[in-house]
Amino acid sequence: MRMNWTLPLLLTLAAITPDPTKAAESAACLAANGGKGDAKPIVEALAAFKPLLNEQQQKSLEHPFDYDSAIRWSNLPLGVVPRNGLRLGDLDAKQAAAARRVFDAALSACGLKLLDEIRLADDWLTTYDKRPIGWSGGNYFLTVLGTPDTKSPWMLQIGGHHLAYNFTFNGHAPGATPLFFGTEPIRFEIKGASYAPLDAQSGAMSRLAAAIAPLPQAKLSGTFTDVVKGVVVSGVPSQLPTGGTDTGFPQTYPTGEQDRGVKVGSLPPDQRRLVRQAIESFASFPGKSISAPLLESYLDPKNLDATFVGLSGDPQLGAKGSYVRIDGPRVWMELVVQPAVAHPEDLHYHALWRDKHSDYGGEIHK
Amino acid sequence: MKRASLAALLGLFAVAAGAHPAPNSMLRLDFQAQAVLAEYWVPESELAYARAVDPGGEFPAYLLRHLAAETRDGKPWRVTVGAVREAQYLDHPYRVAVLRFAPPAGAPTKDFVLIDDVITHEVRNHVVFVSARRGQGFELLGALQYPAHRLPVAAPATVAQSR
Repeated sequence: MRMNWTLPLLLTLAAITPDPTKAAESAACLAANGGKGDAKPIVEALAAFKPLLNEQQQKSLEHPFDYDSAIRWSNLPLGVVPRNGLRLGDLDAKQAAAARRVFDAALSACGLKLLDEIRLADDWLTTYDKRPIGWSGGNYFLTVLGTPDTKSPWMLQIGGHHLAYNFTFNGHAPGATPLFFGTEPIRFEIKGASYAPLDAQSGAMSRLAAAIAPLPQAKLSGTFTDVVKGVVVSGVPSQLPTGGTDTGFPQTYPTGEQDRGVKVGSLPPDQRRLVRQAIESFASFPGKSISAPLLESYLDPKNLDATFVGLSGDPQLGAKGSYVRIDGPRVWMELVVQPAVAHPEDLHYHALWRDKHSDYGGEIHK
Repeated sequence: MKRASLAALLGLFAVAAGAHPAPNSMLRLDFQAQAVLAEYWVPESELAYARAVDPGGEFPAYLLRHLAAETRDGKPWRVTVGAVREAQYLDHPYRVAVLRFAPPAGAPTKDFVLIDDVITHEVRNHVVFVSARRGQGFELLGALQYPAHRLPVAAPATVAQSR
């Protein structure tokens, strides 16, 4: 049973196009103090959290750091892809406060804000779509792969339907990715407060897309109905579906110069600045100790010059199939506009940040 | 798992998978002695984007423009399209085509190179999952996503050809 859509539909249709004012508000978290993402305080916060859990909860929290566990994240709701990990909706107040200290240590202010707002968006969906899909801000999970310490590799996963933080510590390479984020609805109100969780990222990508749209080589061929390097569901009719997780890892990426967009090295300074801002907006969620080494590489002038940016569809991101991509020597960032699921006449965003060299900290092999 | 509980679980998955607006394709192969039979499950929503840029002919003709097979050393197989029906899978409408891949004279049916850009010639995120019958179930052999359009496939090693 679905409820009356008039109000939420109007709210969302009125504000599909990224709003510069809201984007500025969303970007304000960049200047705020957040968690640095250093392993030590995260390990300490986890050590304080674990004794508050019963035996079954501890089993839910901890999993081996291996391929099968690491790739078990999704952009699909719980009804399609059950998650490993400790369900945040099941924590009591003391446990939730301790879990929050883990998030505080790992996530920047932007990352924490995104986690909170994406969970609220899922709560908003439960009000309007009663199908047993698994919407709910409670259906977000905290998972530890391996043994948290300051020397050996391990992973922290925080996520659910529209969010997947996969942070690897002490790996061969900096481990901020894969990092999936999306939102449905694009904008919403709860208790008089308005939210637009991806405004900073959609705004940055939209401004970039609008700037390069007049360049013929910026147009990517084909149609985009989802992110390209995300998770997929495979299956055999009459049998339970499989996949819906990162089974495509390790990914292959475009090579050469054809159909990848326009090279950043050929863009004027003001457009190069828009590329930098878009990259920084996607990389704003982990604590800086996690993201800074990656940003340094992505924004190195030589690497930035060799990066491609391309688009398809509406640069304002106001129509389904609109798509913007940043494809560098190691950075891969994409944002697509899809029809909304709870109400197909509306829209929603999917976005993905991958690192071609260091997804899962370079620690996971098939 | 009992049939009733499987059906209930599939029902839940169907509702929930409807939450994913970009369904993928499934090519299911059945290696037999004389030929490889197959079913190609193509989601209508994604097919519409592909047909918008390649609208000519009926669905079988479209399939044959984007589907071929050859031996490992490049000799073409004969591909034919049989019955086509409509079906639902996980809350998405699909078109299902029965296919037959026949090897050139003297070539075995146990392996070939699939050449396939159905839908993927247009939809960049679309994936074709290729599986082969193994006993009562199917085993995933590989997947194709733009720009990849060639996939060597072989009958699952431990299963004798069914007929």
